[in-house]
Amino acid sequence: MKKPIGILLLAALATLTVGGTPVSAAEPTTLSVFAAGTLAVPFKQVDELFEKNYPDITVQPQFGGSVKMARQITDLHQGADILAVADYYVIPKYLFGGDGKTAYADWYIGFVRNAITFVYTDKSKFADAITPKNWYSVLARKGVEIGRSNPDTDPSGYQTVQMLNLAEKFYSSPGLADKILANAPLVNMRDTETSLISALQLGQIDYLAIYRSDALQHHLKLLNLPAKINLSDPNYASFYAQGVAHTKNGDLAGKPIVYAITIVANSTKKAAAEKFVAFLLGPEGRKVMSSDGFGTFSPAYAANPEKLPPTLKPLVKPWPTS
Amino acid sequence: MIAVPRPWRGGGSLGSPLVVLAAWLCGGVLLAFILLPLLQLVAVQTVGTLLEAARATDVQSALMLSVAASILTALVAGLFGVPFAYFLARADFVGKSAVAAIVDVPLTVPHTVAGIALLMVFGRHGIIGGPAEDFLGLRFWGTLAGIVVAMLFVSLPYTVNAARIAFEGVDPRLEMVARTLGLGPWRVLARITVPLAWRGIATGLTLTFARSISEFGAVVILVYYPMTAPVQIYEMFLRYGIEEASAVAVLLLIISLALFILFRHVAYGRRPVAGSGR
Amino acid sequence: MTALTVTGLSLRLGDFALDDVSFTLPANDVMVVLGPNGAGKSVLLETIAGFHRVVRGRIAIGGRDITALPPERRRVGFVVQNFGLFPHLSVAHNVALGARGHRQDGPPAARVDIAALLERFGIAHLANASPTVLSPGEKQRAALARAEASHPDLFLLDEPFAALDAPARAQLRLELARFLRERRLPALFVTHDYVDVAALGDQLALMRGGRIIQCGVVDEVFRRPVSRAAADILGFENQLVGRLESGEGRSARVVVAGRMLHAAAAGGTPADADIYVAIRAENVCLARPATPPKGAADNRLTATVVALEPLGALTKVTLDCGFPLIACLMSRDVPDIGLVAGATVTATIAAADIHVVAP
Repeated sequence: MKKPIGILLLAALATLTVGGTPVSAAEPTTLSVFAAGTLAVPFKQVDELFEKNYPDITVQPQFGGSVKMARQITDLHQGADILAVADYYVIPKYLFGGDGKTAYADWYIGFVRNAITFVYTDKSKFADAITPKNWYSVLARKGVEIGRSNPDTDPSGYQTVQMLNLAEKFYSSPGLADKILANAPLVNMRDTETSLISALQLGQIDYLAIYRSDALQHHLKLLNLPAKINLSDPNYASFYAQGVAHTKNGDLAGKPIVYAITIVANSTKKAAAEKFVAFLLGPEGRKVMSSDGFGTFSPAYAANPEKLPPTLKPLVKPWPTS
Repeated sequence: MIAVPRPWRGGGSLGSPLVVLAAWLCGGVLLAFILLPLLQLVAVQTVGTLLEAARATDVQSALMLSVAASILTALVAGLFGVPFAYFLARADFVGKSAVAAIVDVPLTVPHTVAGIALLMVFGRHGIIGGPAEDFLGLRFWGTLAGIVVAMLFVSLPYTVNAARIAFEGVDPRLEMVARTLGLGPWRVLARITVPLAWRGIATGLTLTFARSISEFGAVVILVYYPMTAPVQIYEMFLRYGIEEASAVAVLLLIISLALFILFRHVAYGRRPVAGSGR
Repeated sequence: MTALTVTGLSLRLGDFALDDVSFTLPANDVMVVLGPNGAGKSVLLETIAGFHRVVRGRIAIGGRDITALPPERRRVGFVVQNFGLFPHLSVAHNVALGARGHRQDGPPAARVDIAALLERFGIAHLANASPTVLSPGEKQRAALARAEASHPDLFLLDEPFAALDAPARAQLRLELARFLRERRLPALFVTHDYVDVAALGDQLALMRGGRIIQCGVVDEVFRRPVSRAAADILGFENQLVGRLESGEGRSARVVVAGRMLHAAAAGGTPADADIYVAIRAENVCLARPATPPKGAADNRLTATVVALEPLGALTKVTLDCGFPLIACLMSRDVPDIGLVAGATVTATIAAADIHVVAP
């Protein structure tokens, strides 16, 4: 009676140890990609195409707030090969190290851009009356509920505030930002804007400050705001800098919304990761991104281009200084 | 394969020493499983870091809000759940097992899904939320009421189940005897049934409190501000990092532990150990 | 005025039912309700106590119609199996609950002196004890004290000592009988053990399948079951098929398996009817074949011993007299009569002990 039990136990133990051992080079490589929540839809499509082209590489993406994903690498020491964020500044701020903190990256590539806008549904108040010309007075009306993400923790949060400050200057309408923000109180705030989409769809809020890409992906109505204020064009970078958001992390000046990607320094699958980044920057990757509502750069911009891996250097040009 | 010693005459109800050893092993693994992560969390902190976290006003209000909302949730759970549990324990009707199963369903619903479902009902256009806002001025979006609603949904089953089992353990013949002595149905409940079922009820309420104070996913859909402790901890993790966030987590742990001990003392401390009444 | 009158009580409760139950309990008497499990005895008691709604029928206690009253207004004392003391209250508190419970109804509150009551029942020293540590006897006394504190008009006892061992049962039975007699309290006592009948009962009701099949003074019912079912409940070991030849006069003549027996008077049963005869095992006297008979020799049968079953002080003997017959005698007499399997003996049964039962 004891013999079969013993054999079973040994077999179980063996399976467990084999399951935990690292795979040899001949086995398929798994790439762990941490990316901003707004990249969820396009990245899943990119992954599928990439895996078709490179059958021996499997991509396992994880999505969340840009800062959260960065902290998962720096604070929680989770193993990721690639990090892609919604605001390029998150990478140097959290991953470049300095001040005695470990460096997890020393370069990044800006690969797509986005715009801040407001989305709404048929159920939203004044949905039939709002236009690209009168939006700032409609949003300031009493009874309108606006949702946005937390400027202290999420890029789209502070980008919304920056955009509203720029709008104040653009339309020469002092107090515009405060009036609109009065309709976006703390109770309408969440840590990341995508959490509020269900609230918008249920009519709990009327308008949601969110990225243009999200609006297109969720088939929501959106406002086409002027490029000079919606943070979408790097050529307006100096004007953007005049829009300032006061957050618990300090005063943040407006910057164009450029999504950046980097390969984490301690990744053990750098070769595969480089293939992925190259694919993303290439024609197929760009096609997916633009069909999902993102603006693309051709070629992409790189910060610290001399630190890039050799395979990626030809694909980029240096970051514009303006 | 393993040399099994002879059955030990002094083993009592546990039988052979092998069984005792197995029990200790399992218990040890279990306790380690629970304690190691918690001790790790606590070990990183010093009295200094904890005090610093405790001094922050937003941390204080988050902790107080969590405790208040959880206690309120337990009270509401008791008010509605205990009579319902009594009904489930005593009444017999077609579909009773279905009803009892429904009570357990919230335990299986993913928290975010629960939050969205509650938003559908209690939101601005919801079937309860709409009229509540229009006629009573009662809002659930971003209010204490919303927090309690989310907490209640995920933690109510604990009260109902524990209370039901406790009531089932009270011999109905004792209630009958009490009636014949001249006590009306309500007095029987108050003087006989509830005191005998009290331990189980108290356990259920404590579990409801515990489950409520730790809830994040369902609460955060309805209420981000004002921040409960779990939401505050999450925000601090995003802004500062793991060390500052875990300081608040440890504070929450200490407060919860203190409250548990208090509850146990209040609930079980005074009465002598009662038999089952059979 | 009777203590309890039940008329046409009928109800349905899942698997149990009461079917047109009617009986009266004369004042101050104790009625034992005897029957097999599932007969509905507990349901009857619970209905009288007020816990089930009746479909039809009336219940009157001491002349007061209580059919529509809730249990707390009926003024009954209910004693359940294991006595139902509240384990979270001390003995004194238990008893006090009985007194307090009736403050809002019934006789004007002559303030019940709990201490005196405990003293009277001999449990004053247990006033602060928990019911869980009491012996069965002490529990019974506490339960009775508690019930008495509420001044009931009728006692209902539902097999209170069914879960106890024989010696405890015997002692408690005695104490309870004394309690009921001394206070001249009417009571309904439910049991499936007919040993309780003799100790406690003035009246006996046999119950089966939700109906009362026989009811009357203990002796009467005990000796003269009206049907096979009644004989079963009363524990008549011998129930034999036969034919009534003639029932006139002081004794009847029956034919059982070809043998003619003299039986007790058969009342109104017509001649030539198919009947049963019921004989208690202890009324079958056994003797060596040649021994002269002692006492009434109405029926003398020659029998062969088939089997012996020693049961402590008594021995049960299975015989074959042309029909199976069971006798019961003191174990010490067994060797005197030479009872071994296969032996021949003479079985003597008085006519009065052979009872004709309608089928």
